[in-house]
Amino acid sequence: MLLIHCPYCDETLPELEFAYAGEAHIIRPEDPSAMSDEEWRDFLFIRTNARGPHFERWRHVHGCARFFNAVRDTVSDRFLLTYKAGEPRPDLASLEAAQ
Amino acid sequence: MSQYRIPGKGRVDHAETVRFAFDGREFTGLRGDTVASALLAHGVHLMGRSFKYHRPRGPVTADSAEPNALIGTSRGAGRFEPNTRATVQELRAGLMCESQNRLGSLSFDIGAVNDALHPLLPAGFYYKTFMWPRSFWDKLYEPVIRRAAGLGRAPSEVDPDRYASRYLHTDLLVVGAGPSGLMAALEAARAGARVTLVDENPEMGGSLLSDPGIEIGGQPAWDWLDGVLVELESLGVRLMNRTTAIGYYHQNMIGLCEKLTDHLDEIPQNAPRERMWRVRAARVVLAQGALEKPLVFHGNDRPGVMLAGAAQTYLHRYGVKVGDRAVIVTSHDSAWYAAFDLAEAGTKIVAIVDTRDAPREDLRAEARVRGIEVLSGHTVTGTRGRLRISSVTVNPVEAGRVGDPRMIHCDCLLMSGGWTPSLHLFSHTKGSLQWDEDSRTFLPGRMTEDCHIAGAGRGLWGYAEALVDGAKAGAEAATALGRAAGAKTLAVAHDRPGTGESHKELPTDRKSSRVRAFIDFQNDVTAKDIRLAVREGMRSIEHVKRYTTNGMATDQGKMSNMNGLMIASDAVGKPPPQVGLTTFRPPYTPTSFGAFAGYHRGATFEVTRRTPIDAWAEANGAVFEPVSLWRRAWYFPQGGEDMEAAVARECRATRASVGIFDASTLGKIEVAGPDAVEFMNRIYTNPWTKLAPGRCRYGVLLGEDGYIRDDGVIGRLGPDLFHVTTTTGGAPRVLNMMEDYLQTEWPDLDVWLTSTTEQWATVALNGPKAREVLAGLVEGCDISAEAFPHMSVAECRVAGFPARLFRLSFTGELGFEINVPARHGLALWEALMQAGEPHGITAYGTETMHVLRAEKGFIIVGQDTDGTVTPEDAGLGWAIGKAKPDFVGKRSLARPDLVAPGRKQLVGLLTEDGAVKLEEGAQIVLDPDQPKPMKMIGHVTSSYHSATLGRSIAMALIEGGRDREGETVHVPMPEGVVRAKITSTAFYDPDGDRLKL
Amino acid sequence: MMTNQTHDFTLAEATARVRIDELAPVSRFSLRVRPAQAATLGRALGLDLPDRIGRIAEAQGRTALCLGPDEWLICAPEAARDAIVAAARKAYEATPHSLTEISDREISYRISGPAAQELLTIACPRDLDLLAPGCAVRTVFDTVQVVLWRDGPQDFRLDVWRSFAPHVRALLEIGQAELAAGL
Repeated sequence: MLLIHCPYCDETLPELEFAYAGEAHIIRPEDPSAMSDEEWRDFLFIRTNARGPHFERWRHVHGCARFFNAVRDTVSDRFLLTYKAGEPRPDLASLEAAQ
Repeated sequence: MSQYRIPGKGRVDHAETVRFAFDGREFTGLRGDTVASALLAHGVHLMGRSFKYHRPRGPVTADSAEPNALIGTSRGAGRFEPNTRATVQELRAGLMCESQNRLGSLSFDIGAVNDALHPLLPAGFYYKTFMWPRSFWDKLYEPVIRRAAGLGRAPSEVDPDRYASRYLHTDLLVVGAGPSGLMAALEAARAGARVTLVDENPEMGGSLLSDPGIEIGGQPAWDWLDGVLVELESLGVRLMNRTTAIGYYHQNMIGLCEKLTDHLDEIPQNAPRERMWRVRAARVVLAQGALEKPLVFHGNDRPGVMLAGAAQTYLHRYGVKVGDRAVIVTSHDSAWYAAFDLAEAGTKIVAIVDTRDAPREDLRAEARVRGIEVLSGHTVTGTRGRLRISSVTVNPVEAGRVGDPRMIHCDCLLMSGGWTPSLHLFSHTKGSLQWDEDSRTFLPGRMTEDCHIAGAGRGLWGYAEALVDGAKAGAEAATALGRAAGAKTLAVAHDRPGTGESHKELPTDRKSSRVRAFIDFQNDVTAKDIRLAVREGMRSIEHVKRYTTNGMATDQGKMSNMNGLMIASDAVGKPPPQVGLTTFRPPYTPTSFGAFAGYHRGATFEVTRRTPIDAWAEANGAVFEPVSLWRRAWYFPQGGEDMEAAVARECRATRASVGIFDASTLGKIEVAGPDAVEFMNRIYTNPWTKLAPGRCRYGVLLGEDGYIRDDGVIGRLGPDLFHVTTTTGGAPRVLNMMEDYLQTEWPDLDVWLTSTTEQWATVALNGPKAREVLAGLVEGCDISAEAFPHMSVAECRVAGFPARLFRLSFTGELGFEINVPARHGLALWEALMQAGEPHGITAYGTETMHVLRAEKGFIIVGQDTDGTVTPEDAGLGWAIGKAKPDFVGKRSLARPDLVAPGRKQLVGLLTEDGAVKLEEGAQIVLDPDQPKPMKMIGHVTSSYHSATLGRSIAMALIEGGRDREGETVHVPMPEGVVRAKITSTAFYDPDGDRLKL
Repeated sequence: MMTNQTHDFTLAEATARVRIDELAPVSRFSLRVRPAQAATLGRALGLDLPDRIGRIAEAQGRTALCLGPDEWLICAPEAARDAIVAAARKAYEATPHSLTEISDREISYRISGPAAQELLTIACPRDLDLLAPGCAVRTVFDTVQVVLWRDGPQDFRLDVWRSFAPHVRALLEIGQAELAAGL
């Protein structure tokens, strides 16, 4: 069971309060009807499946109920960072340097 | 007094005897004994038989790593447990024990014929022998193997014990209360940290309990121990004995299993047998010590052959001599001390056989003083004795050549192949191991967790080193926790430092085919098996393990892994670190299922959600079915009715007069705010802008992939307020999806979502008499057909309670759904039952609800859809707001695959013989005579007997189904092929006239 | 059957260390509003809405607990219900929000006594030492979402969705009996 830092509650809390919500920074297009079949397919189905740091979404579903973003290393299962929804994607190189 | 018990010695209570039985024979032991120590006190070494060869076995350890002395224990009715280690099970009054793996008696086991046949049963023999002929498998091989397989006998009764669980948060968890662990806990606690100290033994102290001659800080070891425990307690340290750290998980989460009652004569009422602790520790100190290795030689498994350290423990902790005439065989200094202690207690040490050419001079001098013969540079080439060792054969080794044998009579042989740091928990963390060439063992390498390893667990030896290292780990942990600490040193007198060598098999003069040198005692794996595996092509240690089953016994390789590795490394011709070690996995020692289940059994196995009307249903004989976490009334049998009869009656009554149904489980979401209608337009397929307050609409929810996710009727209560209903199982999912879009895609919308599923109790009233039943109870709303047409909603009072009243129908009859605050749900139900009495109002359950809706062709999401069904496929194309620029899933409805011809579409199916009911899930083909595998064009999704129509009805998803209306399809079933005609799904009242009442 | 063991320990034994009481209903609302407008709306409701998750504000018998950045749980005596609804309605035009009544959604239990905190650790994964008296959080008990209030060092409340309450209550009683057994 992981410990996860909720950026809204500003507390590090047991995983049981959270739910995973897929890859982060995949933005729903403004005008889906303008997209080609290939573009739409990529938006729907194509994911990075990273080995190592992975940008992903979690929801503090049994806490403050907010969706937020995280960088988690899929090899070590370690969270490198969590940040609020809408904040820019952090720079991976500086993050890893900080570790 | 038992023959081998030394009066007054040990930590057992000599004043209190405890009676128990072993294989039907009565024995007495002392309070504080284990089953093994009590039997050894009577001179009983033979405690079990091995798994494969049924060889006689006795205890080889005095701890939880025991591979041999596995027994069945019975603590009263239902309380039988197989494979209990006799070396761990504490005596309790009336304990009944039995030996295992025997056919016949323990001393005469006919299964031991396997032992004589051992040349025919090498490693991998299962894979080779039982391959052919194929037809022999079912009738001969499998039944025979099944009878022979399995360790011990499985309990046959329901476990009557309770099991508990706890969460625990602590600054520092120390695993192992030996000298290192005690010092770590002490230093950190003195620095002010919240400390938890756990140990799997009944008593804290670890190796100190077996070494009372040590002096620490000027005190005898046991006095010092008492003082430390008092201080730890006074510092508020949580001391947990009989508690095993079974697994080490991410971010310092450690699982502990605490044994609470197995050792008690009387169990307090409601006391749990075991408690699982889920501990979150800021820091962890692993002070688990080291495990002694056996030496590998012919006949090393005979009863009476045991680890030297174990003999020392039986002596000092239990006051038991393991024999009168002992031979020591060792490659490590530690066994010499055991020999001296046993000699002191009166055991004749016939010889100390050391495999090393030049053991330490001070040890040899001490042996000389005691008159013990020392044979250095020797090997052991065999043992004798049928059920107990009677002699050992030793030979000198010079320049690799084994010299002439010499037979020495003895009644026990105490061996030590050196010590392996206990790194199981550390390995759970995926911490890396480092090969240490000096000690020829693996030591902890890179850490992945906030963890310290102290003492023998990282290869240190001797009390002085262990104490200092423990104190250092405790101080480091405290410092990491932000508390000032400095480790102190302690003076140790009479310390017992030591070193040793690691071996593969000991050299022998026997023909290699005649050597039975065991590595994994429990699984009967010999050195020869390992070499055979390598010869047959296994190169990875993981393959060797699986081929030979080495390390797969209940001790998980505690005894066997390192010896197996040494031999495999020799056979492969690569150094040990290149051959590698197999992965240790939790749990550290065998753990009961009960401990894992905790409170989740019986009535609290999982959450059972109950509606406010559940009590009425139960009192009125409802049969319940689980629907997601809810239990829902399935049908209400009367006067001995079976399900079919009850459902037929409920259906007829509802269509003829009026039925009442508890719909409280429906998900409900309040959508409120100035942008509510915009949000609804974006989320649901339907258009909402023009839906007037006071009206409702059937809504369809898609995933972004265009497939149906949920549906439900949605009422507009005001310009900015919608009352959304979802399916019972879909409620949390739908709310989560809505929140997701709202929070992350459309955070600009001023709209908020609140789950009101449980705020409201919901009662559905259906049937031509529904309005008559309801009318007298409604205040503040005209529910006439004109004023309150189909698909209306109003806030009013019903039966005196504030209510949200819907006119809608999931049955095809005139229908209402009344929502009242949940606390009034039962009162509303009873008021409606009373008002309906003149009309013969009939309570119906979910099965009748399903039949009635199927007669109308209404879908159930998740039954008639499966996550690959579009609204068009389901015949719900009319529910799509085609003029809307966008909604969730809209773009996907134009995906090439979703507009391709030949998609499966939902249709009705009527069997040619109306008495035949199709099976849900049955596959459908066009031509039943085509060769197999047949082309399947769809499957049955819903199928019922319709009392209304007097025949069976079904719905199915069929390729291009709507264009095939009128065609005959075939459903091949084991009993024969069923013919059915494709129809529309509206079986009953297709024009909906009955809704217009 | 849960076990063959029965529940016939005396009530006194069980409650000496911890009591479990179901509380009478109160008026409860889920209040949602943009953080920037929380203060304005709070004034309309006579409450100073706290802006830190887990913090509580109280005034004239009304309580506001901050559960999320834009979410508050409002509790009040039942007599105050209509006044709160009316005040919110009046404020809606200028300060759009959602005030949804959830008085019947939850059942509340008080857990009190020297072993109250220990009882909660049978199923609550949070470190309760970090939950200060006068604070409350949404969390889980076993698999059930709850709002956990700490009213004092030995005094807790649990708000549980109605249909889950029997399960939570059953677990609490098993734990209570276990604590009474003293092992």
